[in-house]
Amino acid sequence: MNIANYLYLSALLFTIGSIGVVLRRNSIVVFMCIELMLNAANLAFVTFSRINGNLDGQVVAFFTMVVAACEVVVGLAIIVTIFRSRRSASVDDASLLNR
Amino acid sequence: MLTTPSFEYLLLSPMLIILAAAVIGVLAEAFLDRNHLPVIQLFISVGAILLALIQIYRIKSSSSTSAAIGSVVIDKATIYLQGTILIIGLLALLLISDQEQFVAQASAIPGSREEQESTSKGSIQTEIYPLLSFALAGMMLFTCASDLITLFVALEVFSLPLYLLAGLSRRRRLLSQEAALKYFLLGAYSSAFFLFGAAFLYGISGSVYLVDISSAVSGGYGNDVFVLIGLIFISVGLLFKISAVPFHAWTPDVYQGAPTSVTAFMAAATKVAAFGAILRIFYVVFSPIANQWRPIISVIAIITMVFGSAVAIAQRDVKRMLAYSSIAHAGFILTAVLALNKSGLSAALFYLTTYGLSTLAAFGIITLIRDATGEVTDLNKWAGLGKKSPLIAGSFAFLLLSFAGIPLTSGFIGKFAIFSAAYETGNIAVVVFGVLSSALAAFFYIRVILLMFVAQSQNDSISIAIPSVKSRIAIGATTAATVILGLFPSLLLNITQSFSIFIK
Amino acid sequence: MNTSNNLLYLILIPLLSSAILLLLGRKIDRYGHLIGTLASACSFVIAVVEFFAMKSRDVTQRAVTQKLFEWISVGDFKVDATLLLDQLSICFVLLITGVGTLIHIYSIAYMSHDRDRRRFFAYLNLFIAAMLLLVLGDSYLNLYVGWEGVGLASYLLIGFWNQKPEYATAAKKAFVANRIGDFGLSIAVMLMFANFGTVTFSGVANHAESASRSALTAIGLMLLLAACGKSAQFPLQSWLGDAMAGPTPVSALIHAATMVTAGVYLIARSNFIFDVAPTAQMMVMIIGAITLLFGAIVGMAKDDIKKALAASTMSQIGYMILATGLGPVGYAFAIMHLLTHGFFKAGMFLGAGSVMHGMHDEVNMRKYGGIGKFMPLTFVTFGLGYLAIIGVPPFAGFYSKDKIIETALNHEGSAGLIFGSLALIGAAITAFYMSRVMLMTFFGNERWTNRADEPHEAPFLMAAPMVVLALGSICTGFLFTRGESLVNWLRPVVNPAGEQHLVEHYSATSISIAAITAVLIGVAFAAIKYLKQVPNIAPDNVSVFTKFARKDLLQDEFNNAVLVKPGQSLVKTLLNFDYIVIDGLVRLVGALSLDAGQTLRKLQTGYVRSYALLMILGVTALIFTIWLVTL
Repeated sequence: MNIANYLYLSALLFTIGSIGVVLRRNSIVVFMCIELMLNAANLAFVTFSRINGNLDGQVVAFFTMVVAACEVVVGLAIIVTIFRSRRSASVDDASLLNR
Repeated sequence: MLTTPSFEYLLLSPMLIILAAAVIGVLAEAFLDRNHLPVIQLFISVGAILLALIQIYRIKSSSSTSAAIGSVVIDKATIYLQGTILIIGLLALLLISDQEQFVAQASAIPGSREEQESTSKGSIQTEIYPLLSFALAGMMLFTCASDLITLFVALEVFSLPLYLLAGLSRRRRLLSQEAALKYFLLGAYSSAFFLFGAAFLYGISGSVYLVDISSAVSGGYGNDVFVLIGLIFISVGLLFKISAVPFHAWTPDVYQGAPTSVTAFMAAATKVAAFGAILRIFYVVFSPIANQWRPIISVIAIITMVFGSAVAIAQRDVKRMLAYSSIAHAGFILTAVLALNKSGLSAALFYLTTYGLSTLAAFGIITLIRDATGEVTDLNKWAGLGKKSPLIAGSFAFLLLSFAGIPLTSGFIGKFAIFSAAYETGNIAVVVFGVLSSALAAFFYIRVILLMFVAQSQNDSISIAIPSVKSRIAIGATTAATVILGLFPSLLLNITQSFSIFIK
Repeated sequence: MNTSNNLLYLILIPLLSSAILLLLGRKIDRYGHLIGTLASACSFVIAVVEFFAMKSRDVTQRAVTQKLFEWISVGDFKVDATLLLDQLSICFVLLITGVGTLIHIYSIAYMSHDRDRRRFFAYLNLFIAAMLLLVLGDSYLNLYVGWEGVGLASYLLIGFWNQKPEYATAAKKAFVANRIGDFGLSIAVMLMFANFGTVTFSGVANHAESASRSALTAIGLMLLLAACGKSAQFPLQSWLGDAMAGPTPVSALIHAATMVTAGVYLIARSNFIFDVAPTAQMMVMIIGAITLLFGAIVGMAKDDIKKALAASTMSQIGYMILATGLGPVGYAFAIMHLLTHGFFKAGMFLGAGSVMHGMHDEVNMRKYGGIGKFMPLTFVTFGLGYLAIIGVPPFAGFYSKDKIIETALNHEGSAGLIFGSLALIGAAITAFYMSRVMLMTFFGNERWTNRADEPHEAPFLMAAPMVVLALGSICTGFLFTRGESLVNWLRPVVNPAGEQHLVEHYSATSISIAAITAVLIGVAFAAIKYLKQVPNIAPDNVSVFTKFARKDLLQDEFNNAVLVKPGQSLVKTLLNFDYIVIDGLVRLVGALSLDAGQTLRKLQTGYVRSYALLMILGVTALIFTIWLVTL
């Protein structure tokens, strides 16, 4: 199979994720879409690792997973606090700050 | 054959000290008596920053690419930027340590009895100190990172604590939490772009090190489309951090919602760190293909300057106004990136320092203007402030004049240096727009000054809080620095000139 | 060029004193004024020492410099903070520190009842330091720092009693007029930088010969605008009268002797520009002539003693500006008049302060009358100043004003005749309105209402400076003209080529006779009108002309129509900018971004998702642009 296809898949996942952020209302789902984008980047790293024939890309992928886990911790903390105050996880409800 | 990796601990020591302080701070949270924690935590943080500054001074003339097996580069510019970040961090810490602005217990639901109890008990979220230390360490690492992994990790290490700090305001908690959510979601979004771009740069060069990427880019092998995708996506992540248009939208909301002292820190220090990385990446990695990215960065710089200045005029909230002003300033400093020469770098370093200090001072002053419900950021209520407190209003007016770049202020020298560097290298259009938009910007700063000194005050409910000694030191030192650097810019210009060296 | 290490102390001592007075606060209220006075006196002593040192040196070696530090160094643009003391600046330094010290001494007594006397002295010291910096800078940029500094100090001092709203308004008015002037100066500095690449006096002087005529004219006109703002010249004159709201010593120091003459200094200092820019030079003469008549006419109708004196200051500075417009020969006479004026006008202001002190702060001359016999010392010192200003020989003003009239009349072309005659007419009017002040205040019927406390003489600390200044108004004119000492002294700076008038249209004697005749006519008219009973309220059945003059020749109406109204609507526009322009901008951009239906305002909706959308659009646009660029 052509290795470029993995890159296409990665780009597709990235696009789906970035569109999802715009379209979805629930903040958890928005956050999952961002995770999807990170994983798309991971896929690209691993693919390039394969193309370049060295392991650096795979190392990056591991780092990304760790960082993504940290992000989940912080992100969920913020989302849960907001949910507790507002009884809603919709990102559109959190729009008091404008103009 | 495996060799043991070698580290030059002395060169890394400023960052290690701050990281250690952060970790010790977390441990202290877990094990020590809550009553003593505020003092202990403040002591740890301030001590670590002072220690790190001493270390910075000791290594001020060193440079090395192999301090951490090629992952960080310690050069003159790095040392300067790290020193600036530490000084800003120290002064911001003094503002932040006035606990008044922070929520007593972040987990309590706004308006609940739990919240009232913890407030009346006087509890304090001392976790802000380790969070701040982590952010500082991340920022310092960000300015010296020389491989993609370190860059990404550093980006997250300084961003994640800031997301949390933004949500800790004592008053208007819903807004504060909302600011945190927005900052977090958009920040994570932008770092996903950054990472995706990094993947492509890795793809064309086969290495995560900036040096190799640089030679791959200049060698022209690999795939040009991949280079450009990498360039664009990485830039998006970085431009987001400096709040360049169109990646600026979070800035006003977060600046307004976050506790003011945290905003002061974010506005000043994040900008230094992010521009440190941008300058390094564009000067070191992408300078061979400058012709390809210069047009778009020029356009972004122009839009950022003009948009920031124009929209700032419409603001009725002083924190939002400063947020848009910081957007405009990001555009001015981007102009220095376009110059791509030593005088551009030196100008950018100068601008970052003076802007950082003035911004700290301005937000510091905002924390003092209060009424019964807390800080007053509605500009209309600032009318007649000049009569109430000529000193405070006068200082604020002076800072605004510095932002506007009126002669005899540090802002003027900074703008002059940046524009002349960009002009020398032929970026004339950007300079023209820069001068025009700084004239436009002068408009809205002067409007605020008129409001404070000329307009009649409508209500007498606002008062000026007597600042604590810590705030007084922070605000006084930053304001004095702005005055002194306006009158004697060569004090700093000479330093930035000798420190404007990037090595590969 | 020689160097000196003392120049910095001239500025540093009053500056430090000012800082000490402000920082230590009420703790040193008891003796703060003494620190301030001492600081000013120290500067004066240094100035005298430097003066004699300079005098002992050879003519070509007189100027000294002191490089303080490298100030700005950005790319090719380098400016050092260097002080320059030459024959021109030493005149100013002596005047500033000398008269300044006298006024400090006077203020000790004058302000003794004010709770904030220490703060007042801090501001006075700040002013002295800034003014010294202004005259000691060796480049336009250094001068600019001092220029802004005196503006700030003057603003603080005019509004010193800012509890009263009209005082705050006066301070604001001065602020605005000065801003316009400063704008002119900053443009001039930028033009110099753009054209010559340097802003030092010597650098600009070297380049001026070879520069384009239009650039020089533009620079000259901008410098003139700056001078108009600072020196209250037409059309930026209106603030000076209102500035009299400040304490009287301030009026004497800042608004008579020193700061308002900064414009004259600026033009005299820039002689190398004006001498090669005839258009600008002609404008200088016109402005000077207009102002000297304007001030004189306004002075005729003022009943407020300080405002009458302010109008006369405006008019006298008009003389100086006119003289600077007369070219190389005129500069020295402008400076001479400036120095003599510094003595007699400061003395008269202090005299006016003394009268107000004795009259419970009454400023309306119609409520005075016959004060002479109650305040003999004030009467005599004020009277000597009066004789000097109207130009009675052998008092100081006679020599300096006579020289200006003479130079104007001998100026080439019909311009000389016109401006000379205007100056003569001005001299007659000056004699009239100053006699009016003199007569209404010290002679005639006693018109004050409260019989119980009649005017009392000023205390010693106030009287002594008045006496010293009165002595100055007697002898300085004679000293300066003896052997053309001042002209020769200043020649290397303002007239290096040693130019003289080619022809003498009129002999010096005939001009002196004409001038004295004009003065006598003015005095005679005043005597006829004001030696009789003066009503204690201003009569209404006066000519249209007087009514105009009372309203400052409609200057406020003029300013209202030309400056204030547009200014106010500008402020209003600024304050309402969001409603007018931004909404318009928003609608415009909104109309442009059709598909997303997002207007600029809606971009900042507060919705995270729309921010994210904006980012995606941004990324797409970037990719698209770079694709176009690399295509």
